[in-house]
Amino acid sequence: MKFEGRCWRFGDNIPTDRLVKTQYVFEPMEILVQHVLEDLNPEFPKQVQPGDIVFAGKHFGQSSGRAIATKALQATGIGCVVAETFARTFYRNCFEVGLPALEVGLNPDFAADGDRVRVDLATGEFTNLTTQTTIRGAAADPFLVDMLEAGGLISLAKNRPEVFR
Amino acid sequence: MNLVEKILARASGRESVEPGEIVVAKVDRLIMHDLSGYLTSQVYEKRVNVPIPDPARAVMVFDHHFAPPTEQQADVLQHNRRWARKHGLKLYDCGNGNLHHAVVRNGHIKPGMIVVGSDSHTPVHGTLGALAVALGNDSHAGTVLPYGKAWFKVPETTRVHLEGAPKPGVTPRDIALWLVGRIGEGELNYRAVEFGGPYVRGLSFWDRWLFPLLCVDLGAKCSFVEPDEVTEAFVRTLPGGDAGLLVHGDGEEAAQVLRFDVGEVDPTVACPPTVGNVKPVAEVAGTPVQYAELGGHGGGRLEDFRAAAQVLAGHKVHPDTRFHLVPSSREVFAEAAREGLVLALHEAGATWFPPSTGSNQAYNMGAMASDETMISTHARNFPGRNGSPDASMYLASSATVAASAVAGVIASTVQTGGKS
Repeated sequence: MKFEGRCWRFGDNIPTDRLVKTQYVFEPMEILVQHVLEDLNPEFPKQVQPGDIVFAGKHFGQSSGRAIATKALQATGIGCVVAETFARTFYRNCFEVGLPALEVGLNPDFAADGDRVRVDLATGEFTNLTTQTTIRGAAADPFLVDMLEAGGLISLAKNRPEVFR
Repeated sequence: MNLVEKILARASGRESVEPGEIVVAKVDRLIMHDLSGYLTSQVYEKRVNVPIPDPARAVMVFDHHFAPPTEQQADVLQHNRRWARKHGLKLYDCGNGNLHHAVVRNGHIKPGMIVVGSDSHTPVHGTLGALAVALGNDSHAGTVLPYGKAWFKVPETTRVHLEGAPKPGVTPRDIALWLVGRIGEGELNYRAVEFGGPYVRGLSFWDRWLFPLLCVDLGAKCSFVEPDEVTEAFVRTLPGGDAGLLVHGDGEEAAQVLRFDVGEVDPTVACPPTVGNVKPVAEVAGTPVQYAELGGHGGGRLEDFRAAAQVLAGHKVHPDTRFHLVPSSREVFAEAAREGLVLALHEAGATWFPPSTGSNQAYNMGAMASDETMISTHARNFPGRNGSPDASMYLASSATVAASAVAGVIASTVQTGGKS
């Protein structure tokens, strides 16, 4: 699985409350997606394009474990989310809803807003095409890659119910 | 094997498990609140929708609302009630308290269980010696409800060993907040955290509760306190309570041990914008506060109201500050009434709210204007959590929250002249 697109850079310790604000939680996805991360970058929900890549800092997606935060991020059409580290529930939710995620360790200045970046999930490589540099993140567990290829947890459970029986 | 590994091995039908392995394990209890339950129900009805073979496994507590303020939110609760009735899920309606306290007080959580929930503070149930983990709504809808199972990666364990004696006026909540600052937000990502050492052993059950509560801010998957006579005595007080399911670890040293002397800690406050931005109260003393609240996931215990009554004895709530008291469960309110705390705190100028999550996320109350400040026992202080993203939220012990309610500004107990 490879993804290439523009980079949207976000900082450290961003909670799910800022991906999907409390007042929108009960709204349909077409409303939610217009507000994702808007407090931190008002241009993001307006300008994000399919295939773009979100690159965040440490402990991305902390706070409430609601999967709707990953779903709203996925609904923007981004190809992949990369972070120095993820909050564990957020990381789990990414794979369960079918949104590829890559954790790359401590590289705070690796890519800036607007850089073209490429992610190769199989090798864990994250390449900044603008600066021609590559870092290697941790490859996801094969169980999670299976889940992603199935289209998420519920599809996996439907296609291979023996896993959960 | 330690407690977490033993529980996962038993529930996945294995002799043993190793950190890093992924196992599919049987889940004993799924807990949902009105918000997470709504999200899970949407996924379940739209994408899964098969009969639920063991509905007694799932418990839903309405806590973010105590009376819906809008038609839309009333519809959410009605949807949840119908969904719970359709499938035979156990439901505690508005007024029973916050999710975690209500399920414990009603006997739904026992040592040795695997407990899952979407609420990120689900790991707090490790205080009883359960393996309690926050999972997403898709796990609950896709595997826990239809199959009674979930997948888990076996975590590495870090032991947080606490020793020493706290300074006068320093409470377990101060120590818990201080630990988030010392260890660092996200620094124990994916790990199981065991809280131990003579300080933890010497605490009552509800004071121990404050430590697994904070593990999500450290990034941990779960947290626990090795069960002992305090755990067993507490479990016996619960409905249907017996300690027969207790699981003990083999006493092996954890892969990583962090040692702290609690004697170093001063009264502590978590400042905006995150739980890890902790400072001694003295550094921010004097900051005006319009709201003070004992409630949310980090408060509303009987211990919090006793501490507040002690601080407020002979004092009144400052006229510029609203002091809200939110019992964590119906049982706590009843006990507070029996002890005379309800009248004492009411007469001192505080306001009682129904058992719920209080102003957490401002579903019921407590939305703030951009120039307002709150100090509370809540578990979270992220910008925009309660109304304006420019409002300020501070997290502190019940004694500091009560002292600040009296002073109208952030203050430690000592500065009000109250007893500590």
